[in-house]
Amino acid sequence: METTVEKKSRYGMVINLDRCNGCGACAVACAVENNVPPALTAMNSRTGLTWLNLIPVSNNENYPDNETVYIPMFCQQCENDTPCVKVCPQNAIEFDEATGIVSQIPQRCLGCRYCMAACPYHARYFNWWDPEWTDGMKQQLNPAVSPRMRGVVEKCNFCHGRLHAAREKAAANGSSEIDMNDYVPACVEACPEKAIVFGDLNDPDSEVSKLSRDTNTFQFLTRLDTKPKVYFYSQKNWVHTMAERAMTRTGKEELYG
Amino acid sequence: MDKKLIPRGLQRTSFGNFLLWLFPWVALLSVGLYAIYLCLAEGLNHTNMDNRFAFGLWIYLDLTIIALGAGAFFTGFLLYILRRHELKSVINSAVVLGLICYSGAVGILMVDVGQPLRAWFTFWHPNVHSMLTEVTFCLTCYLIVLLIEYVPIVLKNRKLRQIPKFLVFEFQLHKLMPVFAGIGTFLSFFHQGSLGGLFGVLRGRPFAFREAFGIWPSTFFLFVLSAAAAGLSFVMLTTWLVQKITKKQLVKPEVFKFLGKISGIMLSVYILLKAIDTLVWINATSLSAGFPAFEFYARKSFGTWILFTEIVVLGMIPALLLTSRRMRERPKILLLAGLMACGGIMLNRFVMTIQTLALPTLPFDAFLSYSPSWEEIAAFLFVVAYGVILYSLTYRYSVIFPQERELQSPVPVQYETQPFSERVAEKFFSALTFFKAK
Amino acid sequence: MFPWVYEFHWSFGHLIFLGLFFSVLVTVVVTVIQAMQKTRKATLLNNVEKIRWHEDFEDLPLEARICRHELTGEVKHRTCDNGFDCRTCRMHPQLQLKRKAEFLQNGDANVFGFFMPNDRMYHRGHTYVKQESERTFTIGMDDFGQRLIGNAENIELPEIGTRLKVNETACTIKKLGATLRILSPIDGEVIDRFYENGDWKIIVRSDNSSLATNHLLRDAEIRPWIMREMERLQIAFATNKVGATLADGGELVPDFHKHFPKADWDGILGHMFLEA
Repeated sequence: METTVEKKSRYGMVINLDRCNGCGACAVACAVENNVPPALTAMNSRTGLTWLNLIPVSNNENYPDNETVYIPMFCQQCENDTPCVKVCPQNAIEFDEATGIVSQIPQRCLGCRYCMAACPYHARYFNWWDPEWTDGMKQQLNPAVSPRMRGVVEKCNFCHGRLHAAREKAAANGSSEIDMNDYVPACVEACPEKAIVFGDLNDPDSEVSKLSRDTNTFQFLTRLDTKPKVYFYSQKNWVHTMAERAMTRTGKEELYG
Repeated sequence: MDKKLIPRGLQRTSFGNFLLWLFPWVALLSVGLYAIYLCLAEGLNHTNMDNRFAFGLWIYLDLTIIALGAGAFFTGFLLYILRRHELKSVINSAVVLGLICYSGAVGILMVDVGQPLRAWFTFWHPNVHSMLTEVTFCLTCYLIVLLIEYVPIVLKNRKLRQIPKFLVFEFQLHKLMPVFAGIGTFLSFFHQGSLGGLFGVLRGRPFAFREAFGIWPSTFFLFVLSAAAAGLSFVMLTTWLVQKITKKQLVKPEVFKFLGKISGIMLSVYILLKAIDTLVWINATSLSAGFPAFEFYARKSFGTWILFTEIVVLGMIPALLLTSRRMRERPKILLLAGLMACGGIMLNRFVMTIQTLALPTLPFDAFLSYSPSWEEIAAFLFVVAYGVILYSLTYRYSVIFPQERELQSPVPVQYETQPFSERVAEKFFSALTFFKAK
Repeated sequence: MFPWVYEFHWSFGHLIFLGLFFSVLVTVVVTVIQAMQKTRKATLLNNVEKIRWHEDFEDLPLEARICRHELTGEVKHRTCDNGFDCRTCRMHPQLQLKRKAEFLQNGDANVFGFFMPNDRMYHRGHTYVKQESERTFTIGMDDFGQRLIGNAENIELPEIGTRLKVNETACTIKKLGATLRILSPIDGEVIDRFYENGDWKIIVRSDNSSLATNHLLRDAEIRPWIMREMERLQIAFATNKVGATLADGGELVPDFHKHFPKADWDGILGHMFLEA
C-alpha cells in the first residue's frame, strides 16, 4: 500500500500515567472504533481481544503508601527491526515508512501466531473464536474498518480508518498533508483526563514530540532496541524504577527466596 | 488371508492378530480425528493456547518429532553420500520414521494455524527474511522428497513388484536415491536450523534470543547438530522397540553400536557448542537486553535444574556414554544413553518453546502457566497412532529391514570362517539323514 | 514467488532464496521424470526380467551369494556381486586359470544321494544344461530341484521361438500355492519343449559361442555346491520351526513336502530357487 502523503511522519503517543484514572473509556472507544467484537462468556483475559489492554500496576506498599497506576498497553509501533514484521512468513504485517505505523493485514494472515511469540509487549491478539455481535451492535459497526475473521491476528494500528478519513478530507481540500486535528485515534479522543497525547514525532514543535523528550518520560524494554513510538509519562519515581527493572513484578508469583 | 501380500519367506503374525494390534491405534486415531474436527470446524478455542501462550503442545511436539525424524536425512547422508554401508539395514526404517514424523508435523501444523487454507500464501508472497518461511519451504520440499523415498519401499511389496512397471520404476528410483539423499540433506540442514532460528531471532524474547552468525542465530546450528544426534538415537531406539515387539532380530548388533557412536559424536559436538552458547548468552546476550539470566530461573517450576538437566544429565552424560567404546558394548547402556540423548533434545525443544513463552518480558507481567486441552493431546495422539499404523502396515507388507531374512535363521550362520573340508560336509550330511539316495 | 506477484523484490535475499527453492524443485522433478523415462525405456527394451533378477539377487542373503570359487575352496571368502554371471565377471577368468588340470576329473554322479552326473552343467537356480550338439542344449530341472518340488501342479513352458536369457524366466511352476519362476541357465531360442510326468525339458538353440556356458557349475563344483544347498534348505526349515523334525529322518521321496505340511513352502521354495 503506497501512501499518498509525501512528507514522512512518525506518529507516536505519550501517555500520562499520573493522569490516568483507569476508567477504561479508551479501551471501549478502541473496540467500538475498530469493530472489535465483544467478549464471549467463554473468553478470559488471556483469550479475549483487547487491542488496548489496561493493566493496573501497584507499588506493592501497604496503606497508606499504596499507589496504583493503570498502564494502557497496546502495540508500541516499534521502528527498529520491528520484531513482528520480520518474522511474518507471508508479509501480512507491514511497516509503513511514511507514517511509522505497523499494520496488520488480516486478509493475508495465516494465523500461525509467530508474530505473537515475537512481540515483546504482548500486544497482539488472535481470534480464537468467530466474531459475534448482537443485532443492536451490528447496527453500530464502523463501516470504515473491516471486521476480522476467526483464526487471524489483529492489533492496534493507531486507528488506520481515521488516518484514511483525514487523508481523504485533505485530498478533497486539495492538500497533500493531513490536518492533525482530523487524525485523532479513538482512545485519545475518548480519554476524559486527556492523558494520551498523539501526534507526529518528526515535528519538533508538536506536543507529543516535546513530551517525548521530557525527563519524566520513559518507555518499556528500551534495551531490546526496537525503538517503540509509544511513550509513558510519570512523575512518580517508583513507576520509573518499575519500568527499568525487569524483575519487579506484581508479587503474584512464586519466587525463590 | 493376506498371505499373498506378505514378503516371501518372512514370518508375520496372523491377519487376526494384526487386526487386534491395530485396533487400539485405530481407536486412538478416531478420537484424535474428532478433536481435529473440533479445532478445524469450531476454532482454536478448543485448545488451551491463548494470546500469551500463542504456541503450545503442538508446536513443541512439531519441533520434537522433526528433530527425532532427522534420522531419515542423516542416515541417508551417511549411507548415500559418505557411503557408510552399515546403515543399509536401517535406511528403510529411517525413511519410514522420517515420513511419519514430517507428515505428522505438517498435519498438526495445519490444524495449529488459524487459517490452514491460506497456507499457500507463504509460497505466493513469501517474506524471505522470516525463519518460518525457510521452514515452510524446506519442510514442504523435504516432505515431497520423503514421499519419493518412501515409494520404492512400498513398491517392494510382493504383489506390487509383480507389475513390471512398478518393479522397474522401483529399481530406477532406487538408483537415483543419492540425488534425493543429497537434496534431503540440503533441505534438512536448512529447516532443522531454521526451526532453531525461529526462536533464536526473537529479539523480543531475551530468553530465546541468541547472537547471530551471518543471518542465522546460534540456535540454527545447534538445532542441526542436535537433530542429527537425536535422529540417529531415535532410529536406534525404534529399531530396538520393533525387535522387542516382533520378538525378532532385524539388524545386526553392530548397527546399533554404529548408530550410537555417530549419535554420540554429534551429541558431543552439540553439547560442547551448547555449553559455550549458554555461557555467552548468560554473560552477554541476555544481559545486554536488560535481562540478567538468573531472573529466568528464579521460579520454582523453571529453576536452574532445567538447565542442568538439559546440558549435563541429558547432554554430557549420554555423550560420554555413547562415545565410549566400552559402554557401547553393553546393549542396555547403549539404549539408555540413546534414550537420554533423545530426552535431552526433547527437553531443549521444550525449553525453547514453552519456557520462552511462559516467561514474561514486561516488568509488570506475570509468569504464565499452560496445560494442553484434551483436544490438543488427542490431536497429538492422532499423529502417534497414525505413525504406528503406517509403520506396522509397511513392516507387514514390505521389507523394512533387509537383513531380516538372513537374521531370522535360528542357527548362527558363520560361513566365512568355515573351510569346506570333508569333515564339515560329513557333519552336515549326518544331520540331513532324510536325504537318501534313490 | 514470481516477479509479477506482489511483494516480490529484486533484492539479493529474495533472489538467493527463491533461486535455491526453484533449483531444488527442478532437481526433484527432473530426477523423478528421469526415473520414469528410464522405466519406460527399460519396459520397451524388454529389460524387465533382467531387472527382476538384479533385484532378486540383491535381496538374496549373503550366504546364498557365495562365489563358486569359494564353494570349491579356491578362495577363502568371496561373495558374488555379478548376479552369478561368470561370463562378465572380472575375477572368474583369473581364478579359472589357476585351476589345476585334475580339478575337472572329479565327477561322481551320486552327490550326497542326488543324481548329479557330470555330463551336464548346473545353474544356481537348480536347472541343468546338457549339450546335445554344437549349438543345441537341453534344459531341465536338476535332481535336487526335482525332489524339492516333486509333482508340480501347473507348469507354464515357454512357447517355441521364445528367446531365453540367462537368469530370466524359463518357465513358471505352481506348487503348494507358490508360484516359482525357474531361471533360464543359458541364452538361446526355444526350439522344442516336452512335459511328461512332472518332468519337463526345454530344447534351446544357443546363439553364442564358447562363452555361453562359462557361468555354469560343473564337475568338482557340484559336490560342495549341493552341500551348501542342503545347508540352506536346512536353515530354511529351521526358520520355519520344523527344524527338529528334520534330524528325525524321513525319506526324500519325490513329494517330500508331505512330511512337513505346516512348513512355509512358499518361502522355502522361493529361498531355494533364488526368488524374493
